[in-house]
Amino acid sequence: MRTKFRYVAAAFGLTASLALAGCAAAAPEASDSIVIDTAFTLETSDPGRNYVPTGYMVSKALYETLLDFAGSDESTPVDGLASYESNDDATVFTFTLEDGRVFSDGSAITADDVVFSLNRVAGMTESKANFLMNGITVTKIDDMTVELSTETPSLKLPALMTNPSLAILNSALVIENGGTTDDSDAAEAFLNETSAGSGPYILDSINFESQVVLTENENYNGEEDIDFTRVVIRNVSEAATQKINLEGDDSQVAVDLSGDQVASLSDGINIFSTPSAQTIFLLINQSEEVGGVTANADFANAVRYALDYPALLELAGAGSEQATGVIPPSFLGALENGVEQDLDVAAASLEASGYDGESITLEYPNDYPVGGVNFTPLAERVQSQLADAGITIELAPAPFTTQIDSYVNGTEAFSIWFWGPDYADSANFLPFSAGQKVGLRAGWTAEQDTDVVNLAAAAENATNFDERETAFSNFAEALQQSGPFVPLIVPGSNIATASYIDGVAYNSTWTMDIAELQAK
Amino acid sequence: MGNTPRATRRYSARSPLVGYLLRRLGTSVLLLFGVTVVTFALANLVPGDPIAAALGEGAASNPATVEAYIKERGLDQPLPVQYANYISGLFHGDMGTSLRTTQPVADDLAQAVPATVEIALLAIIVSLGVGVALGSLAAYRRGKISDQLVRVFSLIGLSIPTFWMALVSFNFFFLQLRIAPGSGRLSPALAPPPTVTGFYTVDSLLAGQWVTFTDALAHLMLPVFVLSLFTIGLLTRFVRTSVLEVLDADYVRAGRAKGLSGPRLLFGYVLRGASLPILTIVGLAFGTLLSGTVLVEAVFAWPGLGSYAYNSATSLDLPGVMGVGLVVGVVYLSINFAVDLLYGVLDPRVRLA
Repeated sequence: MRTKFRYVAAAFGLTASLALAGCAAAAPEASDSIVIDTAFTLETSDPGRNYVPTGYMVSKALYETLLDFAGSDESTPVDGLASYESNDDATVFTFTLEDGRVFSDGSAITADDVVFSLNRVAGMTESKANFLMNGITVTKIDDMTVELSTETPSLKLPALMTNPSLAILNSALVIENGGTTDDSDAAEAFLNETSAGSGPYILDSINFESQVVLTENENYNGEEDIDFTRVVIRNVSEAATQKINLEGDDSQVAVDLSGDQVASLSDGINIFSTPSAQTIFLLINQSEEVGGVTANADFANAVRYALDYPALLELAGAGSEQATGVIPPSFLGALENGVEQDLDVAAASLEASGYDGESITLEYPNDYPVGGVNFTPLAERVQSQLADAGITIELAPAPFTTQIDSYVNGTEAFSIWFWGPDYADSANFLPFSAGQKVGLRAGWTAEQDTDVVNLAAAAENATNFDERETAFSNFAEALQQSGPFVPLIVPGSNIATASYIDGVAYNSTWTMDIAELQAK
Repeated sequence: MGNTPRATRRYSARSPLVGYLLRRLGTSVLLLFGVTVVTFALANLVPGDPIAAALGEGAASNPATVEAYIKERGLDQPLPVQYANYISGLFHGDMGTSLRTTQPVADDLAQAVPATVEIALLAIIVSLGVGVALGSLAAYRRGKISDQLVRVFSLIGLSIPTFWMALVSFNFFFLQLRIAPGSGRLSPALAPPPTVTGFYTVDSLLAGQWVTFTDALAHLMLPVFVLSLFTIGLLTRFVRTSVLEVLDADYVRAGRAKGLSGPRLLFGYVLRGASLPILTIVGLAFGTLLSGTVLVEAVFAWPGLGSYAYNSATSLDLPGVMGVGLVVGVVYLSINFAVDLLYGVLDPRVRLA
């Protein structure tokens, strides 16, 4: 029997030896390095083809754009590689490049680089970012000046020029490696291995499934004063792992923690919580064919005033807020206050709607939390609150990838969805107008509410910022009063860092500017 | 027999073993073809719009972008043509382009598969060693306290949810005890070794990078530990049952009567007799480890096949899904083929069947 035990002991010995090997290795320390954990959305490091959050975070560190945003303030673009002026009609924007700025290879940034970079995106019709250049004509005025023009007023253009997809590339280098301004562009492979920009970092290595490594751009002569000369951005899809890595000092920044996880973080972790730019809302279809009894403004009003918004907000975590309208709080025209529950108004509206106790199906994606807000408990609470108001709801969850088809095709009578901006400007929320993309998903045609259509047009065509802000406010207010959407929650964005790191500023497009992270 | 060399007779075209091999190979090729049909059909029948999922809201509302996207990927062709193109591409090593990563699926899989094989291989070795040892111990000491303990241990291994175990062990060994490294295949300060096999441990050894080797090995420990627990539980119970059956066999009793004991009896008689069913379960367990590590890979941020499959499926990346389906199909067929071969080697009756 002793012999038998020897074999068992040998097996345990093997396991123990392997475990000891685990003890032997410790992560090397590097004080000028920083590790950022995030769930990857990364397809390319070619900024002109990039259109996903992690890609934007990487592009923002490697490249610069004509304009920028200061910290978390996305209401007004500030100077980036250039300053700008516009004509009174807001159709011609003249950009003047800052003197002396250079790319990472030391060559000067000129108007030719701007013209090439913007026209490259405009020419690559298969690029997901191509639509950003729709209707914009780029003209070189002189070596340091470029003119961007549109046929109709476009006060969103300055905000568009902050988008990392429209980053300025070293044109000579990119052209040498296959870059063109039409569909024949073949520079992506080159840009997936080397960066050709003027940002504070250069690309060291990239693996689209696991990690990106950035190192300091020694020729950078912009305004950022970077503290971390090496940045590792890792793909950690599980938020619980991000939390453990951060607490165990294996990483210094965790980007995707939910409100609950932030609340249970150990001491000594900095937390930056702020409302994101996503709006979670109820859609109430106004097409009789699709919605049946839901297809009238009174029913939408009944739902709007029947809900207890603070109770719904309990399901979201740190940084979240009640949605005051379809436009989230950080954007121009966002309303100050949201709807408050009023059961009398709800009851009167319900009676006027002709609703007679029918069961209504509420559809929602059940595998796609937005900002840590899981839609299943949210739907259950909506169901419970509407039941108190006399509306019978039947829940119909489905995976995101199957649910989205019926949402996009406008065949859902009653559903929970979300909307985030493609670029940092309130014009992103005009699709909620009657007859526009999101409006039509709710069966809301232009003919059904011409007032809202006119308000959206006024916001779109405003030629000065004061007029524009008022127009967007009016648009948002009108939607709150008569639209087929019931905005519920703006979930929080929670970025947690090691205690010695400061400078985190949330941005709805590039999440955070890595170059602004500072060691205290 | 005459003077004909034995080896020539054994491997001639008429030899039962060669015939058996060819039959198994033919079946595997047919099954592989079936796998491509099924994965292609399933990937193209799932509800949802992969183009909208890949392009996003803004780009998907731009008709020029959608048109260019569809044309570039040949998605405007009828399904049979797309399938024919897919098969034709496979013969040239082209598994299509991932809609999610925009990289060739073959390149993505070339990175993901070795990462998973590295943990799965180590996990099956550990599981086999521990499972056979514990299972044999439990069988030999049937009804004793050690048998009871082993059975409880194996039951725990089978019952604990892998995802939960991964999180708890990661928290305990990394965060609390600080004796295991953080997530991923390597510490962030280290660069991956030059790729030869795709196994970081092997490649770092080949490159003489000892620090990288130690670090890679350390990062393997927790995922291997978690993955092994279930397989150890499975193998332990299976080995115990198989050994118990064999222990009562006449030839084992005869061996014991001749005075054999200890390792000679265990390896020469008992385990050899129990090897066929154990081989089957090891093959299945290895296949499961290779194709079912999604949750463990998610917790340990392990960029392997499981993570790739999950990300591809949730983003409607159909070429990615088909690539994973094909790889998993090939893995199972290869394992079955290998197990069948070993059956044939271990038991001559099988190859004559």
